[in-house]
Amino acid sequence: MTGEMGCEQVRELASELALGIAEGEERDAALRHLDGCSGCRQLVSELSSVGDELLQLAPAHDPPAGFESRVLAALAEPPRRRSIKPLARRWQWLAAAAAAVVLAATLGAGSVLLATASDRRLAAGYQAVLSQGRGAYFLAAPLQGTQGRVGTVFGYQGQPSWVMVSLPPSTRDEDRFQVQAVTRDGRYLPLGDAVLGGAKGTWGGQLPVDLSAVRELRFVGSDGRPTLTATFDTTNPWD
Amino acid sequence: MGVAVVGKLSDESLLAGLGSGDADAAADFVQRFQRRVFGLTFSILRDRAAAEEAAQESFVRAWRHASVYDPRRGTVAGWLLTIARNVSINMLPTRRFDPVDPEDLLALEAKRPHQDRTEAQVVDAELLREPLARLPGDQRRALVLAAFYGFTAREISELDGVPSGTVKTRIRSAMLKLRSQLRVSDDR
Repeated sequence: MTGEMGCEQVRELASELALGIAEGEERDAALRHLDGCSGCRQLVSELSSVGDELLQLAPAHDPPAGFESRVLAALAEPPRRRSIKPLARRWQWLAAAAAAVVLAATLGAGSVLLATASDRRLAAGYQAVLSQGRGAYFLAAPLQGTQGRVGTVFGYQGQPSWVMVSLPPSTRDEDRFQVQAVTRDGRYLPLGDAVLGGAKGTWGGQLPVDLSAVRELRFVGSDGRPTLTATFDTTNPWD
Repeated sequence: MGVAVVGKLSDESLLAGLGSGDADAAADFVQRFQRRVFGLTFSILRDRAAAEEAAQESFVRAWRHASVYDPRRGTVAGWLLTIARNVSINMLPTRRFDPVDPEDLLALEAKRPHQDRTEAQVVDAELLREPLARLPGDQRRALVLAAFYGFTAREISELDGVPSGTVKTRIRSAMLKLRSQLRVSDDR
């Protein structure tokens, strides 16, 4: 069929147009008609909704373990290639979250493996970790002392959420801290006491709120001042 | 174990967050839709590795095109699943394959809980299940082959050995019946 189509012909083809299965010149002619006919456009639009709803009848199915992590890692990639600065920085954080899975899973004696944000292959090896606990994501932030960075805080968003701190051996003398989580709405939540420094290179605790609600983790020394702090923001702490 | 983190924001809000690069929204969006997206890609491709690849690509495309989503033209779920369907169809190695029996495809879902859907989403989709079941078998088959697998009338004609015109009529009749069902529900 060539040339122009009338409403009647287009309406006969409307279901195939809506389902995306119309072909060739027939489709081209129908699309030209739709350009100038709101009535036929309305019909195709309604039939498209039918097609959309039909797809929702397909059976839901659990994806393979680690799927969510792999998707988030994939989302983190394209902006870097496109060099869209603000967006790229935000998505690099997601790549860091994937890389942090590596670190969280291999934490031993405070050794810090510097995984790069672009190292998807490395991260992929640990993506299954998240799915084991139906976790949403990991992230990491530098733990800062008065003289600079002293270690790393890892966070896990899941049910429950938790944080873990890692210090390289002998970074500082052993000390006792009160640990606080500062939420994004300004609340201070006590997480208990921690002994860190010297031979004690790790501390971990459960969060009473989602990790996403936590802005900062504070280790308060005996003088009542935060001695060590880690801030969870949306920039890449591994840059 | 629940997934309490998911479910606080509307689908539209999560999609907007995904599009703007919000990491929390992205994680929630994927978590909310992954079972349905993978379920659809697996239904079409019948291969777990291929279905995962298609599902992942679907989320990437959703992120890229989030800004052009128009809520007036359909739900987020419908929009996303249409992306997943199109990605899957493009990955089909050949049209000369044995698609899952449309009757099986749709019967399966009726037995499964809808734990990851809002009530409204369940209602919308379920509105079509009964009318679909009431369609004559040949209309239902043609419709499912077209809607899920992207088979053209010509391809269904070759697959089932019936004239192309007959297939077109079956698809059109089925679609118009289902459309009238959705319209009835909108008018209530």
